[in-house]
Amino acid sequence: MLLVKPDFAEELAAHGSDTAMECFNCGTCAAICPLIYEHFPRRMLRYIQLGAKEKILEEPAELWRCLHCGLCTQTCPRGADPGEVILGLKRYVTANWRKS
Amino acid sequence: MYDPKDIIDLLADNVAKTRNPFGISKYWLNGWWKKFDIPRQGGSLLFTGLMYQFMPYIEKTTAYLESYEDSKWAGYARYGKLVPKTLTSLGLAAITPLDEKLKFTNILRNISTILTKSGVDFHYDPSLDDYSGILLYDLGAQDEFVRHAKYVAEKLKAKGVKKIITVDPHTTYALKILFPKYTGISFEVKTYFELINLHSKNGCHQVTLHDPCFYGRYLELSDVPVKALGKLGVECVPARNSGLYTSCCGGPAESISPKLSAEIVERRVAELQETGKQIIAMCPICLGNLRKAGADVEDLSSLIMKCME
Repeated sequence: MLLVKPDFAEELAAHGSDTAMECFNCGTCAAICPLIYEHFPRRMLRYIQLGAKEKILEEPAELWRCLHCGLCTQTCPRGADPGEVILGLKRYVTANWRKS
Repeated sequence: MYDPKDIIDLLADNVAKTRNPFGISKYWLNGWWKKFDIPRQGGSLLFTGLMYQFMPYIEKTTAYLESYEDSKWAGYARYGKLVPKTLTSLGLAAITPLDEKLKFTNILRNISTILTKSGVDFHYDPSLDDYSGILLYDLGAQDEFVRHAKYVAEKLKAKGVKKIITVDPHTTYALKILFPKYTGISFEVKTYFELINLHSKNGCHQVTLHDPCFYGRYLELSDVPVKALGKLGVECVPARNSGLYTSCCGGPAESISPKLSAEIVERRVAELQETGKQIIAMCPICLGNLRKAGADVEDLSSLIMKCME
């Protein structure tokens, strides 16, 4: 059973990223992303919407494959700003490393 | 791929202790202005952010990172911060060829000459020229970035600096967008190519500009160098993806995964080569990365200097 936890999106807002809930999963970001693999960054935005924090923390290193090139943000039809969301996730993970 | 935590910890430690991500002493790093005629006071401050100066060291470091990526030795990166900074500084200085350092020194001297010939009122003060901290920001080391950015911004403010001329997209974005947001201190920031006021008919050829992500998308400045080159008789033939939709050179990934970086730049080089024209870069990271992938690429400042000959 998957439990949806909308609080995670609010938690991320503290790390400068508060647009993930705007995403309607059209996949434009994944199509334009130079990484061209496994639905990045769309998959990460979906995890945030579901509050699937543990899925993101399973393999946090994946976030640093992002080049922060901004193509996803440039083309997002919803203003969900995927590039900044990924940067927010990097900050979130880094802040957690610092705490642990 | 390296463990991002190891790399971030190492870079953040270097910035905290030496004010630059490679732990290299500024004395070794920033010598381009020595024995060079450059105004020392008046007008805007020329602020290089040390990015061009880092390039020979970045190229050396990433070559090593590439050799050990995904090997059993990769994990040793986490012990990098235990190495004394003086040793890192001397080691990197010793293994980096002088001719490589000179190439980037010449780019900065060209930029200074271009500003002078354009009649720009500016000066250079090496004691105020610091790294912007942009890599920490890009990697998500937010607290460390803000701490460093405040140090740099407050130092500039204390010296009464109001107008700044930048030479690369990363430093420009940091000073223009991030510093006001995270330090509360603002400067009037312009890139050197926004100030070019030169005319010539010597250019008379075609080139293809590679727009860096920060100039093309984040700062929307792509049309400025095109117009400046037009006045010098150079026509810019756009690459398939340019301006707002420019393709990344892969440079930002090179500290975490040189392999990924190489994969991305290979695709970009193919796009740029489609036009068949001389490729021009406006960013030290792009210049280094495109060159590493085998592209025949020249810095914008070098092209402008040729047009003025």
